[in-house]
Amino acid sequence: MIAVQDLVKEYGRFRAVDGISLDVRPGEIHGFLGPNGAGKTTTMRMIAGLLKPTSGRILVDNNDLERDPEAAKRALGFIPDRPFIYDKLTAGEFLTFHAGLYGFGNGNVASRVHEMLDLFELRQWEDQLIESFSHGMKQRLVMSSAFLHRPQAVAVDEPMVGLDPRGARLIKDVFRRMSERGVAILMSTHTLEVAQEMCHRVSIIQKGRIIAHGTVDEVKQMAGSSTDEHLTSVFLKLTGGGALQEIDEI
Amino acid sequence: MSTQPFPFLLLPHAWASRNRVRRREKGDLLRGIVFGSIGIVVSAALFYGAYWVTTQLAAYEEFGDYLLRLGLSWLFLTFLAFLAFSGVVTSLSTFFLSDDLRLLMASPVAARRFFQARFARTVGSASWMVVIFMAPVLIGIGVGRCAPYAFYATTIATVVPFSIVPVALGSACTLFVVNVFPAKRARDLLMLMGLGFAVAVVLLLRFIQPERLLRVESLPDVTDFFATLQSPITPMLPSFWAGETLFAAVQGGFDWLHAAALWTTAGAFTVLLGAAHARWHFAGYSRSQEAPKTRFARFRTLDLVASALPLSPVRRQLLVKDVKIFLRDVSQWVQLLPLLALVLLYLYNFRVLDLDRIPYMSGFVKNVYAFINLGMAGFVMATVAVRFVFPAVSAEGSAFWIIRTSPISMHDFLWSKFWTALFPVLVFTEALTIAANQLLGVDPFLKLVAAATIFALTFALVGLACGLGARYPRFNADATQAAGSYGGVMFMIAAVALIIVSIVLVGWPSSMYLMAQTGRFSYRLTPERYVMIVASFSAAAAVCMATWWLAMKSGVRALDEMRK
Repeated sequence: MIAVQDLVKEYGRFRAVDGISLDVRPGEIHGFLGPNGAGKTTTMRMIAGLLKPTSGRILVDNNDLERDPEAAKRALGFIPDRPFIYDKLTAGEFLTFHAGLYGFGNGNVASRVHEMLDLFELRQWEDQLIESFSHGMKQRLVMSSAFLHRPQAVAVDEPMVGLDPRGARLIKDVFRRMSERGVAILMSTHTLEVAQEMCHRVSIIQKGRIIAHGTVDEVKQMAGSSTDEHLTSVFLKLTGGGALQEIDEI
Repeated sequence: MSTQPFPFLLLPHAWASRNRVRRREKGDLLRGIVFGSIGIVVSAALFYGAYWVTTQLAAYEEFGDYLLRLGLSWLFLTFLAFLAFSGVVTSLSTFFLSDDLRLLMASPVAARRFFQARFARTVGSASWMVVIFMAPVLIGIGVGRCAPYAFYATTIATVVPFSIVPVALGSACTLFVVNVFPAKRARDLLMLMGLGFAVAVVLLLRFIQPERLLRVESLPDVTDFFATLQSPITPMLPSFWAGETLFAAVQGGFDWLHAAALWTTAGAFTVLLGAAHARWHFAGYSRSQEAPKTRFARFRTLDLVASALPLSPVRRQLLVKDVKIFLRDVSQWVQLLPLLALVLLYLYNFRVLDLDRIPYMSGFVKNVYAFINLGMAGFVMATVAVRFVFPAVSAEGSAFWIIRTSPISMHDFLWSKFWTALFPVLVFTEALTIAANQLLGVDPFLKLVAAATIFALTFALVGLACGLGARYPRFNADATQAAGSYGGVMFMIAAVALIIVSIVLVGWPSSMYLMAQTGRFSYRLTPERYVMIVASFSAAAAVCMATWWLAMKSGVRALDEMRK
């Protein structure tokens, strides 16, 4: 559903993303892990159509993002790490506008907006200005906008940041339900517990390259760890955080 | 799924404006009344000025028509450069830097519709000031010439394409530079454009020498003056076409040729710009997201100067932090450039003002000008203070917790803001006052009084801006929004009142002293009058010092109360 082929992004002489390839299947939750500055957000932004790749190809629902960006973007829901929302709009207005961006007709917008507000527990705030929302509420509103147009694939950058346990649980449930309905979810995260708990497969990126790829158990085997070992220690082994692990063990 | 037409993309701004009107914040009414009143007064003055000039010119038949025709062309020519510059700056924001681009660019919006919506917004944002300024002037001309209703319809049909052409050129310039220069250098472009614009305005005014109009004794000079504005390329400019179209309309006709030239050029420029955007916008937008290079990365001079100052380590670090943040944020200090251009023009005008041509009044007029200059310098200072000093506390934004959780008293924090702002504002306004008075050649006593008054006013206005900025902070707003907030308006009202009071308190004794010096009206300084002079000067100083001290105290108290 999301296919990334030999993707490269260069900033001058610096190569932030160095020929990565990914494939997220329908109904799959794919974890995209890596240390800070590894190239996760750059990759996510290229998939969302916010950054132009230096080379490589991105397909969303078989639509080439370069050749047919509208069709590719229509099939994708994007949840950025730092979402922009119009502060002076109400939650209802924001979702209505978002629906219009994705070509929803006027007839079924209101019911879909209410459905999403109910799903993300924001219905009572429908007519409140977004500027009065807490960080977690804004996060949930952005997620509801990403799922509003019934995308076939979702790219989400750091979904759990700033959410309370209830909000985090809600998001996990929503992601699972969407995955069961066949939505492909590419999730960039630092929260390895979330990746271990939710992801069918993970890719670990370091210095712009994918260094490990597969199910969580497969990645553990690649790192020479037992399947009982926690993903955090596997991640540290693979990304060169051995010293940190030792500190952790003291 | 249906595709929405491009005005749909403008809906968030319309809804946001409606929500702002519906949910008024504290001070919105006051701000509306103050700015609305100023707007009405300025519009009325422009209307009356245009009406008066038009009726006066009507008395000269053909020569009057000639001057009106040139005047219209000149009016549009003046705004042509402004609109092009405004197009550069606005399109940089609307097409490349605006926050909502992340949302729109990730949406399946066709590039063509995106361009149409953004270009409509760019034209609107870049030209609204010009339209607001032009409307009363053109209405004044229409009323002065008893023009038919069709003139007013033609005005709208002329100003719209006239605005589109230079804004499209400016936008094309931005598109080119954003694609050519390394990442995020586009912001630096703003600085260069600002400097270029300031220099261009000064050179333009120097070139046309408006002071020649003062020499009413030689009428041919007036025609020369307007003739200077004509050149072989003038008929090729949209300003000429707009002037010709309106001149025909004011006489009851319609100039199809020039109106068609305006509309076809506007249409062609829009189509060409749209094609250029379809080809290069995404590449430019992509580059504009790259991290900017650090400006003043080391800036050892500042560290050296700061370490030499007799400051506590805390105050030194606050000073270094504020200065570095200011210098690295081009969007902040670039706003000083238009102000600098205005100040240069202001001083230039004093230099070329030939008051000696009014022999029996020149001494008196010069000294009156010294006080007008004092008021102007005070007003410039208030403008600088509301834009750069008032938002100083608000500028801490979401990082203010760092200050609040560190072992720094709010007293030290606010006073650090005060001293950081005081020095540049003091140097700037003192230089402005001294230079203007020197160019005017006012009496040495008045030079001294003006310099001392500005010194006291600087402490008062910077203190007032810091104090009110701390009392009415807007941590989630940018500096421009903070300056336009309730507290900013309160500051401007208080600042103007303080400037007027100060000028009255120093102007009255100064005029007594000068009258006695010149011996006019047989005026002499008795001991009682000396006491009154000293008392009045002292009162001015006391008012300034009290404003400074009380405002700072109030600001510190307000910051302390945030903990409660």
